[in-house]
Amino acid sequence: MIYLYKENFIDLLNLINYLLKNKVKPENIKNEIYMKTLLEETYYPVIAEDKNLSERIINKIGIESFLIVYYVFLSNADNKELLIYKYLLSSLKYKNKIRFMRNIDCVNECLKISKYVKTEAHKFKGFVRFSELDNGVLYSQIEPENNIMLLLCNHFKRRLKNECWVIKDNRRNLVGIYDKKECYILDSDIDIKKFDSEDYYEDMWKEFYKTIGIKERKNDRCRMNFMPKKYWKYIVEVSDNEKSSV
Amino acid sequence: MDLKEKLVILADSAKYDASCSSSGSKRKGDSIGNTAYSGICHSFASDGRCISLLKILLTNCCIYDCKYCLNRRSNNIKRAIFTPEEICTITINFYKRNYIEGLFLSSGIIKNPDYTMNLIIETVYLLRNKYHFGGYIHAKAIPGANKNLLNKLGNLVDRLSANVELPTEKGLKLLAPNKSSDKVTEIMSYVNNNRSTKFVPAGQSTQMIIGATDETDLDIMNKSENMYNRYKLKRVFYSAYIPVNKDKLLPSINTPPLIRENRLYQADWLLRYYNFKVDDILDKNNPNFNLLLDPKCDWALRHLDEFPKEINKCSYFDLLKIPGIGVTCAKRIISSRKYFSIDFKDLKKIGVVLKRAKYFITCNGKYFISNSNFKKDFIEYNLLLEDNNSNNSSGKQMSLF
Repeated sequence: MIYLYKENFIDLLNLINYLLKNKVKPENIKNEIYMKTLLEETYYPVIAEDKNLSERIINKIGIESFLIVYYVFLSNADNKELLIYKYLLSSLKYKNKIRFMRNIDCVNECLKISKYVKTEAHKFKGFVRFSELDNGVLYSQIEPENNIMLLLCNHFKRRLKNECWVIKDNRRNLVGIYDKKECYILDSDIDIKKFDSEDYYEDMWKEFYKTIGIKERKNDRCRMNFMPKKYWKYIVEVSDNEKSSV
Repeated sequence: MDLKEKLVILADSAKYDASCSSSGSKRKGDSIGNTAYSGICHSFASDGRCISLLKILLTNCCIYDCKYCLNRRSNNIKRAIFTPEEICTITINFYKRNYIEGLFLSSGIIKNPDYTMNLIIETVYLLRNKYHFGGYIHAKAIPGANKNLLNKLGNLVDRLSANVELPTEKGLKLLAPNKSSDKVTEIMSYVNNNRSTKFVPAGQSTQMIIGATDETDLDIMNKSENMYNRYKLKRVFYSAYIPVNKDKLLPSINTPPLIRENRLYQADWLLRYYNFKVDDILDKNNPNFNLLLDPKCDWALRHLDEFPKEINKCSYFDLLKIPGIGVTCAKRIISSRKYFSIDFKDLKKIGVVLKRAKYFITCNGKYFISNSNFKKDFIEYNLLLEDNNSNNSSGKQMSLF
């Protein structure tokens, strides 16, 4: 049986709590938009939301171990729900020591995935490129592997607190919007066309980028290791020539 | 001259400074900008180096004539000078677009050290107080400038640095006759004595040019160790000498000594995070690093009597001595083995680089390779083979002969 949940974290925790309580072993867990195959059976249990559930889990396994679950949820890993289920199942036994139990496969897997999500969020704190729209709003587009919007918004609302900005995740049609006071994350497929007028400072940045590399030390492989091609699409200083040549 | 042209000239003149780190500061900022304690890289240049800060000179005019320097007085190059306002405008506009973490401002010496230092202070003061910039600022302290100026600057920036340039006074006399190492160490000791959460919160760093003079790696590392101990430097940067000028006093080389530079960085890490001393890794009979093996592997091979080490028992500092185990892994091993006994397949999960570590460890008394192979020649040969395989960019089998 494949169990379904509404596409949010709290709902997933409630479902897993329900499964553990009723000692049901799910074949898999998927969010409600999952397209089942002919041979699969899905079930969407009606569960009354337990308001203090996350708090109780945190009390039991500690905030560090709990955050790992949250980062795995944000990831694009195929089997992430089942992994979270297994991790929480093991945490009944190991409690706040769960995150040290690397010899258990699901724990090791969760640690790896959560690290990957955190690393990607860290990289995007550097790789996000805003352009200034005519009305002064800063606009950027990203296509990360994982859903790191909340992590990025938390970063930029501290950093650019007196600016209005929009971050658009084109892979998920999500936008993060900040209006100098509050930050909102919404589903949206808005597509802001880039204005025609050239951005003076963007040009200047491209020139700076070309200049700052030392030609006697040229090292494409090293650059690629730190800034792989998959990030290049919106990185303005990488020239169109380079983008199309590989 | 338009602003873009100035930027190109003054970035070109600044690019040989190796430092671009933006770490170590917890500035919150009240308008635009804050700092990330771990630092953030925003881009990577064509040479693979991280771009984190807007690295520029205030001016490339200079009254000095250091032999190795592009900006020396006797060079016939285009000169430019930024106004403080211009630097602020570029910094803020780059920052808003998330191109940078902040500013790294250095300068040629114009008129005299005090005059130059005042221009730097004016710029940084404007940035902090008129533009309310809370991002990262790294500024160069100008050797020979007045202490009051150093004090002013230190209260505005996150990091200060003064470059020793060359590892020995003799080298400095030869190639940079206008500079003296005393003036640099005066800065370092002043900064170290006054450091606080308000004054140079991210600490100080310095840089040495490698291969312009004939110092050995031992000379260089001794200098570094000495500065780390005496002035609590955060970083020493090593910059492989790149010939930009022709001069009979300069060595004639075609390519910068990049492998040597890499070995120095690896050894520098061993000093700062792995509890090694310079005496452990170099001595009078071996004053230079092995270019084929990294310093830790090289050390381990010369001290095989200390190995193999038992993963489930040995101390944190002993773990750090094992090739293939870094700080993160050592910490993970310590926290894991409290709860379960670690075997070889767990080591892989923990993230140990087994292809290096396997020769130097046991897990619960079991050795990974056969006991009869625990010999220097065998291990060295295999480590070299592994390195060559992984350096082969095409991923094809390397040709042995």
